[in-house]
Amino acid sequence: MKRLVTFCTSLLAAAASFAAPLEKTDLKFGFIKLTDCAPLVIAKEKGFFQDEGLSVEVVAQPNWKTLLDNVINGNLDGAHMLSGQPIAATIGIGTQAHVVTAFTMDLNGNGITVSNNIWEEMQQIDFDLDTPFPEHPISADALKPIVEEYLSKGDKLQMGMVFPVSTHNYELRYWLAASGINPGMYTKTDVGGRTDAEVELSVTPPPMMPTVLEAGNIQGYCVGEPWNQQAVSKGIGVPVVTNYDIWQNNPEKVFGVTKKWADANPHTHVAVVKALIRAGRWLDETDASGHYVNRDEAVRILSQPNYVGADYNVIKNSMTGYFYFQKTDKREMPDFNVFYKYYATYPWYSDGIWFLTQMRRWGQITEPKSAAWYAETAQKIYLPDVYLTAAQELLDEGLIEKDEIPWDTDGYKPATDAFIDGITYDAHDPIGYLNSHQIGNKDFVGTTAGN
Amino acid sequence: MAFKYKLLKAIDVAGLQVFDPVVRLCYGEEPKLQLRRIGLFIVIPLLTLAAFVALWAYVGPRHKTKAGEVPSPAVVLQAGQDTWRFDAWEDTKAADYKRAGQDREQALAAVNARIEELEPQAEQAAAQLAEVEDAYRTQLMEQVKPLYDEYRQMRVDFRDESQRREAELEDRAAHLSGSVAEREAFLDALREHRQWEEGEKAELAAFKDQIGEIEDAKAPELEAARAQSNDLGQELQYLRKRRDQLTSDNLSLKLADAEQRLEQREQAFLQASSGEEALSLANQILAEEAAMERIETSTYAKPWTLPDQIMRSILCVFTGFVLASIIAIPIGILCGLNRVFMAAMTPLISLFKPVSPIVWLPIVFIIVGGFIPEPSDSALLDFFNAIPVLGAYDVNPAFLSSAITVALCSLWPTLVNTALGVAAIDKDHINVARVLRLGFWSRLVKIVVPSALPLIFAGLRISLGVGWMVLIAAELLSSSEGIGKFVWDMFNNGSSQTFAQMFVVVFVVGLIGLLLDRIMIVFQRLVSFDGAPTAL
Repeated sequence: MKRLVTFCTSLLAAAASFAAPLEKTDLKFGFIKLTDCAPLVIAKEKGFFQDEGLSVEVVAQPNWKTLLDNVINGNLDGAHMLSGQPIAATIGIGTQAHVVTAFTMDLNGNGITVSNNIWEEMQQIDFDLDTPFPEHPISADALKPIVEEYLSKGDKLQMGMVFPVSTHNYELRYWLAASGINPGMYTKTDVGGRTDAEVELSVTPPPMMPTVLEAGNIQGYCVGEPWNQQAVSKGIGVPVVTNYDIWQNNPEKVFGVTKKWADANPHTHVAVVKALIRAGRWLDETDASGHYVNRDEAVRILSQPNYVGADYNVIKNSMTGYFYFQKTDKREMPDFNVFYKYYATYPWYSDGIWFLTQMRRWGQITEPKSAAWYAETAQKIYLPDVYLTAAQELLDEGLIEKDEIPWDTDGYKPATDAFIDGITYDAHDPIGYLNSHQIGNKDFVGTTAGN
Repeated sequence: MAFKYKLLKAIDVAGLQVFDPVVRLCYGEEPKLQLRRIGLFIVIPLLTLAAFVALWAYVGPRHKTKAGEVPSPAVVLQAGQDTWRFDAWEDTKAADYKRAGQDREQALAAVNARIEELEPQAEQAAAQLAEVEDAYRTQLMEQVKPLYDEYRQMRVDFRDESQRREAELEDRAAHLSGSVAEREAFLDALREHRQWEEGEKAELAAFKDQIGEIEDAKAPELEAARAQSNDLGQELQYLRKRRDQLTSDNLSLKLADAEQRLEQREQAFLQASSGEEALSLANQILAEEAAMERIETSTYAKPWTLPDQIMRSILCVFTGFVLASIIAIPIGILCGLNRVFMAAMTPLISLFKPVSPIVWLPIVFIIVGGFIPEPSDSALLDFFNAIPVLGAYDVNPAFLSSAITVALCSLWPTLVNTALGVAAIDKDHINVARVLRLGFWSRLVKIVVPSALPLIFAGLRISLGVGWMVLIAAELLSSSEGIGKFVWDMFNNGSSQTFAQMFVVVFVVGLIGLLLDRIMIVFQRLVSFDGAPTAL
């Protein structure tokens, strides 16, 4: 019977492959050693790529810059990317190339960790933090006096993030700025983003974070997992806040390819997205009581040395619905990693626009742009058509349910105020959103530049 | 007897003189002298090695940092075994993919049996781990909770007391009279208050450190339970993947499915009634045939593992080495022959010789990238990938960049030695060549190169050593698969085995470097007629 079923599905798959001959079947994808590369790894290990007739190699990359360069120069077909990377590459911040995405890999999954010393000082300052189970979310209010003390000594607090256009950079800035700490502005001449900074941010590759923190070069960092849990398990730092608390269900990584590749391999692209959607679905499968059923296996796979490679226990601490803030402070966080729920995998224009507003807010986009420019740019980069084609094929093959995909959306999530400072974000009004912040660039509403 | 001398000569040429006394002892030649030499050349080095390992085993685990501790020899050995096991496992998975017929069924039966055997064990281990973990946690909480409560009370007391004192001081400040003495007394009181505050804070911090120490204390029982459960979980994961490779993902089964489909299509095609249907089915048959061809040639995408990476590194260093030799020897000869050319080259040689590989690599990367705009369609790469052994290790731009960086850093010793060797040729030899009226080429081939060969090879030997050292850094930076990439990946993993794996790499790199050096010694001995000693 099982044989018959596989036979039937393979017939279906064959029919699909007849309709869509793949342009390229041997693919090489890059990833960074972070737990949110899971959809790529799972699609390979659980045979979802194979089901689409693809033979895929996934290769660890040393840092985000090299990863992007390898995608652009064709050494890689595609990669696990920071949401900001396709956007920045397309509008020409850093390396210029038209990079697109049709798949959002996950939501949330980052944390801000400070060194033990800073944590102790924060506890000295804020009486309420000085317990083994402080109330969350923790804002940067208790950090402000420390920053001021550093400044009065002619010094600046140093914090690490992983890439100039990374979610981590914007989240760390958001968190600091929400408590009135200026994280510094990018200008035409200051590409390090330290103009007027009260806290200086610098780039460190994710896997290096704990080492650099312990060495004392930085006093805190914002990074994805397992590098916050690594700090907890080695006792070198304390995660104070996760990005779920900074912005609930914020977009994190995307699967990026160059426009050139996407144009040359349209059917392969759809096949890849199909496998990734299935992987996301597999990762978020729960039993009746809401416990993830496949996460343990996923952790086991990710802990292999050729994937994330960190210890099983460390990866498990954040991926199975919990998060350790200190060794004794284990909290339930079922949505710390979202791979499929809440229409997570759909490439939302509104996500792209949020990143664009942050790039403008901190000066990476040096000139004011019009609201129309924001929308057009997002549409150049996010490819919901590819996503929906893939989803439709999966639906036809009976591999997903109809209500799991936002079929009729215009690409904009509803406005939300689920931020740590409660400011409302409406993607239809990027300029208004920009102007609602205290710190950062503000633009005139009527601006038409950039059209 | 003749054999004895042949053997001794072979040992000498192979650079294995340390075994010379052993052979002589076997032939009973001056046993006393031989024993003394064995003591000197074999026993003492071995003792030193043993002392080193003993010292390492003693000191290593006693040197602790938060990131971990220096691994002991046993841990390193374990890490080495695990690294090789990972390779063996991946090889098995690749083989499983290709297994067919009875072979497949037998393998599947074995895998299933092992899974059945392990599953209850793993469940038990997991249950035990959960139990130990719970026990550890409750015990820790019991220990720590009262301390935290006490700390909290101290903190509250401190806050209240501090507030009280501050209020008092404020009050006193409000009622300060004009007298200097009183004002100075107030200043002292404030100073004292600050000191008291600092003292209290230090006390609180010390108390908290105590709690931290309890929390950080190792729980060997918990770690053992974790390790056991982990080992079982890892093996089960591997076996389950093997089961997939032998069933749903298996090549032969996929082929059988495809064949069946093809047959059905062909039958349907033969019976197709309308032209449209026939065309559609014929198209489908062609697509099916193409798919079958693809499946037939498909392999399991095995990740890079250390043994493969070592092989690729060796190939990379030799590619760079050959390149360096091709550049360095002719230029060296020209420098040696012609003083004007030497004078012209000197500034370039002096300028580029000291440059570090880390500087060369990005430059080389850009230049190589310029020649290979599209890696999937590049004549240069196709050329390299067509070379028999090299091609199997996937030559890509990163590989070429690493090799060229190796060449740039390692060509200098060969160049300088060649120039020196050529310049130092006996004048008599040159005069003989003149008398015989040899042309430039015959002079070069018959006189110049042969007499310069010993020095050229001495240069090549140094070059290969330098190249091997440079390569690891180049691979690390260019993320070209090889030992350097392995080092970087394992370091980035930040797992409990990371440091031990670095030690494994130290020994692997050291041993291979030693081997390469020995090979060069053999060549050097073969071309030296004077039998000059070649050092260690």
